[in-house]
Amino acid sequence: MKKFKLSGDIFIPITVVGLAIFGIVAVYSASNYVAEIDYNNKFYYAIKQSMGLFVGLAIMLFTANIDYRKFFGKGIYLYFGGIILLILCFIPFISVEVYGAKRWINLGFFTIQPSEIAKFCYIFFVAEYFATDPSRARSFKGVIIPILTGVLVCLLIVTEPNMSITVCVGLLMLSMLFLAGMRVKHFLMILLPAIALIPVLIVIEPYRLKRLSAFLNPWENPKGEGYQLLQSLYGLGSGGLFGVGLFNSRQKYRFLPFSESDFILSVIGEETGFFGTLLLFLAMGFLIYRGIRTAKGCDNFYGYLLSMGITTIYAIQVLINALVVTGSIPPTGLPLPLISAGNTSIMVFMGAFGTLYNISKNQEEPILHNKPKNKPKKINKIFKKFAYNN
Amino acid sequence: MKNTYSLTVLRKRLFAYFCLLAVLILVIIIRLFFVEVVNSNTLQQKAIDQWTRELPVKAKRGNILSSDGKILATSADSFAVFVRTRSVKDSQKVSQILGELFGVDSQSLQQKIDKKATSEITVKRQVTKNEIIKLTDYNLDGVYYSVDNKRVYPYDEMLCSVLGYTTVDGLGQGGLEKYYNKYLAGIDGEILYEADLLGSDLSSKTPTFIPSVNGLDVVLTIDYEIQLIVESALNKVMHEYTPKGAAAVVLNPQNGQILAMANLPSYDLNNVPRDDIESLNSLSRNGLVVDSYEPGSTFKMVTALANIEESLNGNLNAKPLNYVYNSSRYRQVAGGKIKCWSDHKNGKHQNQTLQEALNNSCNPCFTDIALSLGTETFYKYIKSLNFGKVTGVDFLGEASGMLIPETAVKEGDLARIGFGQSVAVTPLQLAAAASACINGGLYYTPKLVKEIKTSDGKVVEIMKPSTAKRVASKKASQILAEYLENVVTNGSGKQCYIEGYKVGGKTGTAQKFVDGKIAQGKYVMSFVGFFPSNAPKYLCLVTVDEPIGGNYGSTVAAPVVYDIFTNVISAKSIAKQ
Repeated sequence: MKKFKLSGDIFIPITVVGLAIFGIVAVYSASNYVAEIDYNNKFYYAIKQSMGLFVGLAIMLFTANIDYRKFFGKGIYLYFGGIILLILCFIPFISVEVYGAKRWINLGFFTIQPSEIAKFCYIFFVAEYFATDPSRARSFKGVIIPILTGVLVCLLIVTEPNMSITVCVGLLMLSMLFLAGMRVKHFLMILLPAIALIPVLIVIEPYRLKRLSAFLNPWENPKGEGYQLLQSLYGLGSGGLFGVGLFNSRQKYRFLPFSESDFILSVIGEETGFFGTLLLFLAMGFLIYRGIRTAKGCDNFYGYLLSMGITTIYAIQVLINALVVTGSIPPTGLPLPLISAGNTSIMVFMGAFGTLYNISKNQEEPILHNKPKNKPKKINKIFKKFAYNN
Repeated sequence: MKNTYSLTVLRKRLFAYFCLLAVLILVIIIRLFFVEVVNSNTLQQKAIDQWTRELPVKAKRGNILSSDGKILATSADSFAVFVRTRSVKDSQKVSQILGELFGVDSQSLQQKIDKKATSEITVKRQVTKNEIIKLTDYNLDGVYYSVDNKRVYPYDEMLCSVLGYTTVDGLGQGGLEKYYNKYLAGIDGEILYEADLLGSDLSSKTPTFIPSVNGLDVVLTIDYEIQLIVESALNKVMHEYTPKGAAAVVLNPQNGQILAMANLPSYDLNNVPRDDIESLNSLSRNGLVVDSYEPGSTFKMVTALANIEESLNGNLNAKPLNYVYNSSRYRQVAGGKIKCWSDHKNGKHQNQTLQEALNNSCNPCFTDIALSLGTETFYKYIKSLNFGKVTGVDFLGEASGMLIPETAVKEGDLARIGFGQSVAVTPLQLAAAASACINGGLYYTPKLVKEIKTSDGKVVEIMKPSTAKRVASKKASQILAEYLENVVTNGSGKQCYIEGYKVGGKTGTAQKFVDGKIAQGKYVMSFVGFFPSNAPKYLCLVTVDEPIGGNYGSTVAAPVVYDIFTNVISAKSIAKQ
């Protein structure tokens, strides 16, 4: 009789749910004052976020129990599904325009942010593409399709416009190509033009130049361009070592815009201090570590790339958000995944982490764990062993 | 096989990727440490500044008192009423009630509140306590009040050019109000309200109250009674001769304390003409301290003192006290002719001694003295009596007069300085110097403030009495005082004679200069008087600017000093000698 054993890396769902619950507390604290005034209900954002958490939990339970190998072969549908959602953003009556950006679509009872979904669709597609024939990564011809499909996603998102998610998808693409084994020579061939593109992107939108100068010297215009960054730093700085105590933020009284979404880390820093943010980063870092560990323990290439894709997009968003909030890179609006207010984000990330957990459950013969004692195995041969291509 | 590769590549890449993420997370944690801990203080300080809204609590400005305890300037408790637009719930009700209570236009107030263009509107300042009590009964949202101060001068015009005035915000703007502002002002307090970005109060936080520290009281050397006497005497002369102005200063020659100081015309301190800067500037000007004029004959006291002292010291250049001066009306000096104001006919100004020269105020005699003493000796006295520099009185903007530099003095200048021309002095300079001439030869810096006290009467600081500086021997000074008593008894100062009181004095009539030329018919009449001459307690200098009718100091200014002295005698019940 098989002994009962909790299979998989149970730390992944525990950490995810823990972070999401902490997120609700943080969202409540950061938003209760504004919610009371704007919606006459100080729990407005907290309730909305809780709904996201519950739906997200359901999705996570669901994805955790679907064998991820069943997605294999459906990558192309997922990808085009994502592309269609992105295109819907540009269709009047369906799209919702906020601050001149068409980032949301209205489903009647619910608004969703297609870019949050499309980036995961792209992960499934690329993982399947390379898993079908890992040798594709080694030839230039082989990497053209992931690049072109990635660029298409980027183009659609940047037209919304949503620069920050575009950057995230771009970095995700580069990371996956690198992790799939793309030749360094080819890698540099696409990396260098991408870097050269940055100044161009800055110059075509004048507001980015302003943001850049505000980043370099926020005190020059503390009431204008430098405002958001300075307010974020005021919040963090007011925290000190131990913070002013949960719910005691003063910056949330309208001083810090987007305090419940993109800049929630600043409020957390103000209320819980350096130790609070340190603990938070240890938890988020732990989740990233478990994701990489899962990838390393995979017995097939598809699982390896899929788990790295999910881990990577999470890591990229955490890092960029934290760098923005601490004033280390020019400000750009990007939510802190699992923590910031935003329903689509929390649901999609929880669903993705459900899949990551599922990958961690199905690991029999890790391909990367230890150096093979015998002669190096050729990946083509190993790949043949996997039978999930129904 | 070109397109296959070993798993080692993937293993290495995964490891590199892991390291990259780990380093980035470490960088963020370090960065968080810097922002949250290392830069915490500066950032938090800036943040705190924006979290609170301050309502000022004005410190009560200190009183200004006369030496005999009369309150010359005080602050009435008053309040300022504010509306914080963001905190108003019912703008119609608020503006209607405020309109009724304070007589402001409620419609325009409501518009201002609704517009919310400014977060704070000052409804009315200098509101009384009773009105505030009525206001608090309504308990209106968004309406606040704070202590404000209204400056009140109980005697309206009295001492106006000396006291000066404050801004509407109670900051010293002129006169003693400005000079002693740091004592009078006190330290303002604050009520700190915690507010959000838009200025709405946070009901969950209690405001912090930082109390104000009241200002200190300044006690003047001014004697209320004498000031009153001086101002009424000047008013009389203003009425009688309609001059451009009249001014007087009364000093205590024994210590330099200023007992009275007045410049007419004056203005009501409770109704400062702030809208008319030009007239405010001219009315509030303390000409006794900040303006210079050519003293004329009153300066002969200085020349006489120099001669007496030098002659007592055996200086052969000095004229002996019994020396008889040349009777001619003219003196030929450096190619120019200096003449006496009198025609010297019919036995006038003949064979005079110094006593008689003073009695007659005969110019040629003093020319003789100045030329005979020489620049070096004469300037020694002029300089030690502080001519050509400020006296150091505690008042802003003191003028130093004009004295030709010693090295540039020509014979003609020296001859004229002997009888008070080619030199400009402030009236206060002259009064302080005259005091030294007759008080036994000691120079005291004039002072307006005696001490600084707290509002409950505790003395905080006693202004250091000025140290005496010897300018002549006691004997020389006593001789001069006797001579000047004689001027009043028998000479040109007769109109100041008071029987039974040893009054001494010297007249002065100075021509006015307009654009560097003598202005015909324009004079400044002056008289320096003091009593009792053997131990002077009061010295008074009166100047009358361009009187109409009455051409000599003896006819215009001396009676004013007489008026002042007789009233001081009766007010202070000074017995006859």
